[in-house]
Amino acid sequence: MAEILVVDDSKVMREMIVACLRGQEGLAFTHAASGLEAIERLSLKPFDLVILDLNMPDIGGVEVVEFIRGQDKLRELPILIVTTRGDEGSRTRVLAAGASRFMTKPFTPDILLAEVRGLLSSAGAPA
Amino acid sequence: MSALHVLFKVAGAEYVLAAADVLQMESFTSATRVPGTPWYVAGLVQIRGRVVPVVDLRARFELPAVEPSLDTRVVVVQQGERVVGLLVDSAREVLSIAPDLFRPPPDVVATQAAGFVKAVAQAGGRLVMLIDCDRVIGEGKLHDK
Amino acid sequence: MSRSVDFREFVSGFLLEAEEHLRSASGNLLAVDEAARKGEARPRAVRELFRSLHTIKGLAAMVGVDPIVDVAHAMEAVLRAADRAGGKLSLAAVEQLIAGSEAIEQRVRALAGGGPVPAAPAELLQALVELDPGESPGPSRAALALAPELLAKLTASERAQLTAGIEQGKRAVRADFIPSPARAAEGLSITTARERVSAVAEIVKILPVSAPRTEETPGGLKFTLLLLSAASDEAIAAAVPIPPGAVQPLTTAAPEEAAPPDVAEGAGPEDLPGEDPRRGGVVRVGVARLDDAMEKLAALIVTRYRLGRAIAALAAEGVDVRALRQIEGEHGRQVRDLRAALLTLRMISTRELLEPVPLIVRGLRASTGKSVRVEIDAGRGELDKAVAERIFPAIVHLIRNAVDHGIEPPEERRRGGKPEEGLVTITCFERSNTQIEIRVADDGGGIDREAVARRAGREVPRSDAALLELLALPGLSTRDQATKTSGRGLGMDIVKRLTEELGGEVLLRASPGNGRGTEITLRIPLTVTIVDAFTFECGAQAFVVPVAMVEEVVDVDSQEVVRSPGPSAGRLLVSLLSRRGEAVPLIGLHSLFALPGGEAAGRKALVVRRNGEPFAFAVDRMRGQQEIVVRPLSDPLVKVTGVPGVTDLGDGKPTLVLDLVALSGTLSGKRAEALT
Repeated sequence: MAEILVVDDSKVMREMIVACLRGQEGLAFTHAASGLEAIERLSLKPFDLVILDLNMPDIGGVEVVEFIRGQDKLRELPILIVTTRGDEGSRTRVLAAGASRFMTKPFTPDILLAEVRGLLSSAGAPA
Repeated sequence: MSALHVLFKVAGAEYVLAAADVLQMESFTSATRVPGTPWYVAGLVQIRGRVVPVVDLRARFELPAVEPSLDTRVVVVQQGERVVGLLVDSAREVLSIAPDLFRPPPDVVATQAAGFVKAVAQAGGRLVMLIDCDRVIGEGKLHDK
Repeated sequence: MSRSVDFREFVSGFLLEAEEHLRSASGNLLAVDEAARKGEARPRAVRELFRSLHTIKGLAAMVGVDPIVDVAHAMEAVLRAADRAGGKLSLAAVEQLIAGSEAIEQRVRALAGGGPVPAAPAELLQALVELDPGESPGPSRAALALAPELLAKLTASERAQLTAGIEQGKRAVRADFIPSPARAAEGLSITTARERVSAVAEIVKILPVSAPRTEETPGGLKFTLLLLSAASDEAIAAAVPIPPGAVQPLTTAAPEEAAPPDVAEGAGPEDLPGEDPRRGGVVRVGVARLDDAMEKLAALIVTRYRLGRAIAALAAEGVDVRALRQIEGEHGRQVRDLRAALLTLRMISTRELLEPVPLIVRGLRASTGKSVRVEIDAGRGELDKAVAERIFPAIVHLIRNAVDHGIEPPEERRRGGKPEEGLVTITCFERSNTQIEIRVADDGGGIDREAVARRAGREVPRSDAALLELLALPGLSTRDQATKTSGRGLGMDIVKRLTEELGGEVLLRASPGNGRGTEITLRIPLTVTIVDAFTFECGAQAFVVPVAMVEEVVDVDSQEVVRSPGPSAGRLLVSLLSRRGEAVPLIGLHSLFALPGGEAAGRKALVVRRNGEPFAFAVDRMRGQQEIVVRPLSDPLVKVTGVPGVTDLGDGKPTLVLDLVALSGTLSGKRAEALT
């Protein structure tokens, strides 16, 4: 089973993401409603992929990525950013911080599926 | 005054190009084919970050195709503003040839490479043919987008 | 959009969350209204408002309610400007924001009632767009006693919030919460801790901090909460929960450091253009042409909504407006794309590009303990913002490399007869009117060719170009452990890729001066075309097509495909796809390009429209969506209709960019030739 951590403060958004990935077998989902909760969960159990929104309370997505990449064990963890369309600034910043891929909302299910499959199959490959 | 020339082979025959026009020689695995281009355009390759169109000389000279081997090379040439790659069987040597050694090609030789040969020369005991690059890569100017 | 998941089933969830956000927004609007009357700032309320509107916008976009997207987007822009200005809003702005919130509420109710959602009101959008940004706050007077690396993680807004709270007589304290499996089992998580603590204090920031894995911190993690409170230490401690003595004050010290040097300006809400570490919070809109274009774009957006209202009026009279609405939708997408493209067109000076460098070097000095000074010669060039943003991470990495790997520790330099202070120079100059060169040089120990060769398991490289090829092998590092600064993120292979994706080159000069030091040059074009594109596969080959060109991506359900009754165009297989009552010509891309494969199940088709006529191209599978750099194909040998350029998806091979609209043009008419 591939363990996926879905991080978005909107419950509806998290449910939509999980619904998009329904077609793929072998995926288990854990929800986190904030970057802090995500960091906490990552410290307690191993995951194979993090799907992360950037716009969340208390701690921005870039900081979350920086924190994750600062942890020895999580340096290779694939991070897929899924966020509302932003400008090049956010994208560059979060990719420079070490995020693996970047996607904007709105997206179609098959595109999310393709991104997730791609990241899970090349797990550990550099961004 | 002798000038350096790059020597390469296509189907056993030996050809030369002025080394001053040759930018790089790279090994070759595959090219991205572009639909709608002439049959002798192998496609596009990326060399040192630059996207280069490649002309398959075997196809251009209407010779049978072969699978690329470890010796296959793309000879990247500069003609005016255009940078084009020539796909050849091998390219290993550099020869120094004095310009007055070049003679117009005899008729026999001319038919084999159908008018792509500008001149021939005897160099180091062998017969080498000077390629007419302009004819090989065809006419046309670069378009500025 | 593809229909394998219908996002309409999520509308009820959307309604619930939207109402929740609107409720919290009205609370915050009341707070900023009161503050505006007193001329005060409310940074937290402004930030929360921004976040609420941003979330509403994202959700509305997913379920397809454009009018809400448009109002939220306009409100978001006002709030973003106010956040940058320290959380201050004018009365006029608050008024418009309240109107905006009401407009959204109205539309949410309409959606809930199952009725049509009215388009966004044009006057409101106009008014929001015309609002002035707030004034900048005065300098913060009190300084905070907090470890520099924690202080560095606060945004200007958060620091303002803390000092403002202290000035108002609240106490600033800090408490640490440590998560663990045992606590999780008891239901104690950072989320519940946060809820409990917010009952007794105002949470300014929660910082995750790495800690070594010990019994105390089994997860290697602790959360530091920075709070403002009138409650007692015991009450706060009980809420976390931690022992009472563990609550520490954040006292205000005499201002020894007026402004902390290494401040992260951009660590607040996402999506704040301009609030970015490279600019120190200032948006330079000095380019008159861009201002002009943006103004014209704003007018375009407003007209779009008038159009929407006119269409709605027609619909109310019973006119069939389906075709009009489709065009309106496409128009809206194009306007959004145009806006993004305009922003991408902004030129920035090389001086601006290199502005953050001294800060970066200062940080590196601290983290590596090396003594280094930097000299910057930025020249007078200008480059595309898009190019600048893509190349900046590469420049940062080169600088990190220079300080971390290049410059030797002070004692070693002394022994070698060099000045203790290492020198890193960064130079920028216009090589031609289409190319720019950025050079990062250091006077350190140079690159150890033998070590690199050994690490790579290859021969010692004789030329600098060969050495660069070795360095660019993925995963290579001559240090056994990736160091703190250069270890994660980018490697030389990615610097090379970033540069080459832009159509540029990397050049290495090892030991340029007296057998010492290293010089790396990035040679890049001044402008590039960057577009959002769909990546897909056909006949085992990858292709991309600009998103703006594609009207829809649909599943090709064989039941909806009918072979065209008349003779097929040339040797092409042309079928008809039934889509929303329309018969759309469907052509397999492999048939058009003579690629292998073709009748695979589960195929997708990309629908484009040319002169109002739809065409669908069937492909094998969609891969994803990403921004690509388009490099035009200009050589006559490869200039063909339908293939304007190529891109590099990261595998080093040229991937064709397709203009499907132009390709469909080659099919129209009676004679269509199969392209080989």
